[in-house]
Amino acid sequence: MQNVEKGEGVLLPQAHAAGVASLRPEAREKCSIVSGTAVAEPHRVVLEPWRAVRRITCFFALIIALVFLMNFIITSGLRRIQTSGFGVSNQVMESKVNAQVVITGSSRALSHYDPRVIEAVAGHSAFNLGKNGSQTDMQVAFLKAYLAHNQKPELVIHNLDAFSFVSTHEVFDPVEYTPYLYDHNLYDALWKINPSIWKSRYLPLYGYVVEDMNFSWILGVKGFFGWSPPEDYYLGFNPRSKKWTDEFQRLKASNRQGVRFEIEPGGAEALDELVRLCKQNQIQLIFVYSPEYIEMQSLTQNRAEIFNRFQELATHYDVPLWDYSNWEYAGDQDFFQNSQHLNDVGAAAFSKDLANRLDKYFLARTKTAGDLQAAGAAVRSNVGQN
Amino acid sequence: MLFNSLEFAIFFPTVVAVFFLLSQRWRVHWLLAVSCFFYMAFIPAYILILLVTILIDYVAGICLEKVDDPKKKKALLWLSILSTCTVLFIFKYFGFFTGSFVGLADLFGFHLSRPAISIILPIGLSFHTFQSLSYVIEVYRGNQKAERNFIVYATYVMFFPQLVAGPIERPQNLLHQFRDPHAFRYDDVTAGLKRMAWGFFKKLVVADRLALYVNDVYGAPRHFNGLQLSIATFFFAYQIYCDFSGYSDIAIGGAQVMGFKLMENFRTPYYSLSVSEFWRRWHISLSTWFKDYLYVPLGGSRVRKRQHILNLMITFGVSGLWHGANWTYVIWGLLNGSYLVAGWLTKDWRNRLFAGFGLHEDSAIRKAIMLSSTFALTCAAWVVFRARNMGDAWYVWTHMATGWNFHQLATEQFWMRQFPVAVAAILLLEIGQLWDGKVPVPAFVGRMPVAARWALYASFVMMVLMFGIYKQMQFIYFQF
Repeated sequence: MQNVEKGEGVLLPQAHAAGVASLRPEAREKCSIVSGTAVAEPHRVVLEPWRAVRRITCFFALIIALVFLMNFIITSGLRRIQTSGFGVSNQVMESKVNAQVVITGSSRALSHYDPRVIEAVAGHSAFNLGKNGSQTDMQVAFLKAYLAHNQKPELVIHNLDAFSFVSTHEVFDPVEYTPYLYDHNLYDALWKINPSIWKSRYLPLYGYVVEDMNFSWILGVKGFFGWSPPEDYYLGFNPRSKKWTDEFQRLKASNRQGVRFEIEPGGAEALDELVRLCKQNQIQLIFVYSPEYIEMQSLTQNRAEIFNRFQELATHYDVPLWDYSNWEYAGDQDFFQNSQHLNDVGAAAFSKDLANRLDKYFLARTKTAGDLQAAGAAVRSNVGQN
Repeated sequence: MLFNSLEFAIFFPTVVAVFFLLSQRWRVHWLLAVSCFFYMAFIPAYILILLVTILIDYVAGICLEKVDDPKKKKALLWLSILSTCTVLFIFKYFGFFTGSFVGLADLFGFHLSRPAISIILPIGLSFHTFQSLSYVIEVYRGNQKAERNFIVYATYVMFFPQLVAGPIERPQNLLHQFRDPHAFRYDDVTAGLKRMAWGFFKKLVVADRLALYVNDVYGAPRHFNGLQLSIATFFFAYQIYCDFSGYSDIAIGGAQVMGFKLMENFRTPYYSLSVSEFWRRWHISLSTWFKDYLYVPLGGSRVRKRQHILNLMITFGVSGLWHGANWTYVIWGLLNGSYLVAGWLTKDWRNRLFAGFGLHEDSAIRKAIMLSSTFALTCAAWVVFRARNMGDAWYVWTHMATGWNFHQLATEQFWMRQFPVAVAAILLLEIGQLWDGKVPVPAFVGRMPVAARWALYASFVMMVLMFGIYKQMQFIYFQF
């Protein structure tokens, strides 16, 4: 009846109806794992302490090894994904974009600017770097990461929002950045917002299971085995197919006095940094305030104040500011998903308008550059003649 | 310090390793020191409150043993109880009672202002206060010798696994264990670790995921349809069970690793066939506390019918108040009390009704009806427990069955992709509970080859790691 496993110590006799009574009192009272109901535990393993410690240590070593392995699989998998959001980030980090025009901004940028239209109309390669739920500080960080891995663009279009001066207090969907924390631009920006980001970088799985509640790690596991999600990003552009929802009505109902977007020093500094970054890299910058649903504009109490700050910044640094607040469809719900976001129909119409304006802008710039070149040549020839 | 924190993952193995390396003489000192550290990780200064409670009852215990005169003894007991309860009152109920008084005065036209004192509730205050009270009462009754060693007594109140959310121990069970030798035993360590793993599964995978949905819906119930309100209530029943019993499992398992045996706190309460059975299986350490120290001294059931009903209502009303300084908790307690009274008064009638339909006591249909009706009644009571106020609770009750929209299930934090995980977690929990005791799982697993057994355990640990929520959500019962 004695069941002995080789090299594993002695297992006490299997408990059965009569056997239970013969067990030691503490064994009889031992509770089952799940509910704690009084059920005798039949298997008692008696090991010498050092053997027991060795065995327990080995088990936890196995768990740690599995954790590292899983982390490796997820990170590699996410970096292998070719499509959708991670596909865009991978193209950026793998130096595969190198566009002439890049668009930066929040979810509004992401869902409003179709680079395909810009390419077709303005004849310049374009890419959308918009990030869902991001504020200016993270948008600047992502642009820096882009510049570190890709050729400098000719033009950066930065989409402004009413909340452009609000700095990030909590990173939205941080797992988006986890596979790329080796990039110091992203890491430094994230560290400023949340100093405990080091855990995501150095503790295996932390960034995937602690900082993310939506199982993005499953994408990584699938990606490791060559799977990529269906494509819903087009040169970084992620259109929204939803028609007008009741989100704005709910917002209005719960904010009858209107809403305010703070002008925070951190947010203003981030926008300033964006301008300086472009100047240093000799990249032309244009601020665009893309369409916003007309009723939302009147609901924003401090909109005039925010626009004054935009205007001051644009004038100070000589950056064009294209304001689409009065866009011809700004009051038409058929073009919007909610007060802040155009739907795919609206995005197509807006992208076309913007591309036409860009085309004229490029023409004018070429002409100006040509005029300057001609003037310079004339001056040089005059100097030569003299 | 939370059990579900990175800090605890470092703290616990260190504590256990040093505990077994130390000689028996110093172990209790070590446990007291680490328990202080554990508690001070929340709000360090609040350890002084705990110290006051410990000192009061330590001295009271010794004095109670020395005094022979029954009258003096009783007076001493009451002095000790009142002193300990004053601490509880100041920190937990001062705002509630003054607020209620101001509200009442307002009704009669006296416009008083609330005192501008805002006190943060020390974590687990009600738990260690009750554990301390239990000691004094048992010494008074002569069931427990007064503890002369202050370190041992302080460790009894502060033992870190059960310090902030129980189980509320009795001195007869726990106190002597701090003097008993605890050898390192492999089976105790592994059994404790398995119990902890099960507790972490309940807390991290089930409770905290369901909490995302529940918090969204109960945060603003008027924004959600009847189906969402129903799901949130169902989820809350599982959330609170897994949150609290998960904590108890971690506490019991953690203590077991070091060779300590704590009392059981839950026995699959949702499998109860009546509300009275539910209360024998839910938060057992508190239910028995109230039974031993309030219900029975009031006369229990060995009194006239009217007095019995009153005893039940007082016990449950106080139990509700113990849970929180809010009228919703009091009403929750009274609601449960009224369930018990109604169940008791209608027992014969219900038996006749079942018999009329040919459903004998062992009939599966009868059991299913009783089980589901008990669960439904419990859920109805959870509504008022979870709601922010009675207005919200009333809204949830009256709108649960209306305006069901199957296309609108998700909430802001709880996306559709979370539903399969939440449902699978509940199912796994139920399978675990149904098997427990019926299928000899430990024996079966124990017979497996080491590689297969380790693979099984490692898979479970990885499953908890990958599907858990680690936003360091506090255990619900910490606030009590």
